[in-house]
Amino acid sequence: MQFLIYRYDPQSGARPHMQAYDLAPGHGEHMLLDALIRLHEQDDSLAFRRSCREGVCGSDAMNINGRNGLACVTPLASLKEPVTLRPLPSFPVIRDLVVDMTRFFRHYHAIRPYVVDDDPPPERERLQTPAERAELDGLYECILCACCTGFCPSYWWNPERYLGPAALLQAMRFIADSRDHATGERLEFLDDAYRLFRCRSIMNCTEVCPKGLNPNRAIDRIRMRMLKHEV
Amino acid sequence: MKSVLTGLRAWTVQRVSAAYLLFFLLFALAWVAVHHPMSEAQWRAWVTSGGMREATMLFFAALLAHMWVGLRDVVLDYVKPLLVRTAVLGVLALGLAALGSWTALILIRA
Repeated sequence: MQFLIYRYDPQSGARPHMQAYDLAPGHGEHMLLDALIRLHEQDDSLAFRRSCREGVCGSDAMNINGRNGLACVTPLASLKEPVTLRPLPSFPVIRDLVVDMTRFFRHYHAIRPYVVDDDPPPERERLQTPAERAELDGLYECILCACCTGFCPSYWWNPERYLGPAALLQAMRFIADSRDHATGERLEFLDDAYRLFRCRSIMNCTEVCPKGLNPNRAIDRIRMRMLKHEV
Repeated sequence: MKSVLTGLRAWTVQRVSAAYLLFFLLFALAWVAVHHPMSEAQWRAWVTSGGMREATMLFFAALLAHMWVGLRDVVLDYVKPLLVRTAVLGVLALGLAALGSWTALILIRA
């Protein structure tokens, strides 16, 4: 298989370039991450992140043939050659396919990704009904891989002030949580020109989410909750 | 204090105005289709008839509000330097206000 991989080493002083590789996938190597690990054995200067190898940690998000995805759950058989690999768009590149996630996690922390409840802790746990728990389905599964945020044109235009689909999906996860007591504050925080309302419903986020989630739907749900809150 | 036309409010204005624009356009097209062919005098009498003048004014007000939110979105996305952005938004606001005043004048005098 032929691969074209984005290479950039800031310490070398050289400009970024695409490097060609040839590789014959071995027995049992079905996923793109398997191929990357083999390529790394050939060329140990090639940098990429990986951890769980099964689509749970979200470390190996990258742009694969023009679409963001996770290398570990992308079958090699599904890819057209040459397989072109680039870092996540709009993220500052640290080296090769490794990007700086600082801004992404700053936006994530801004939405307060934890249940806010100032009441005294109960003796055992804060209970939910099955229906209340079901409200979190389609939200809690996000692994923060940033495939959606890195593929969102609104984020490309306003990466500093627009929170991006991943952070907004997480915001809805806590707005929808029956145990959270800060819904009003959360909605008011998001009600400005940039944090949420730069979303133009382009839906690239939903298109590329490797977990099959729908951040666009979550953003719509926040808007509807805001509207009810305002009325 | 929240700005009148930002965040949720701007989004609501854009959606409500879009709904009214669609409703008015469908209504006007249906009326024109039913009364076809229509002379200029008949058309003028219809536009200035009771309630229709106000509905037309509301249509243009909705159109201008819709344009303002849409154009402001484009400016926020693409024009980054604050001074240039303020100038562009100012020119846009003045242009839309002038268009609105002109339209109101035409409808009042008709």
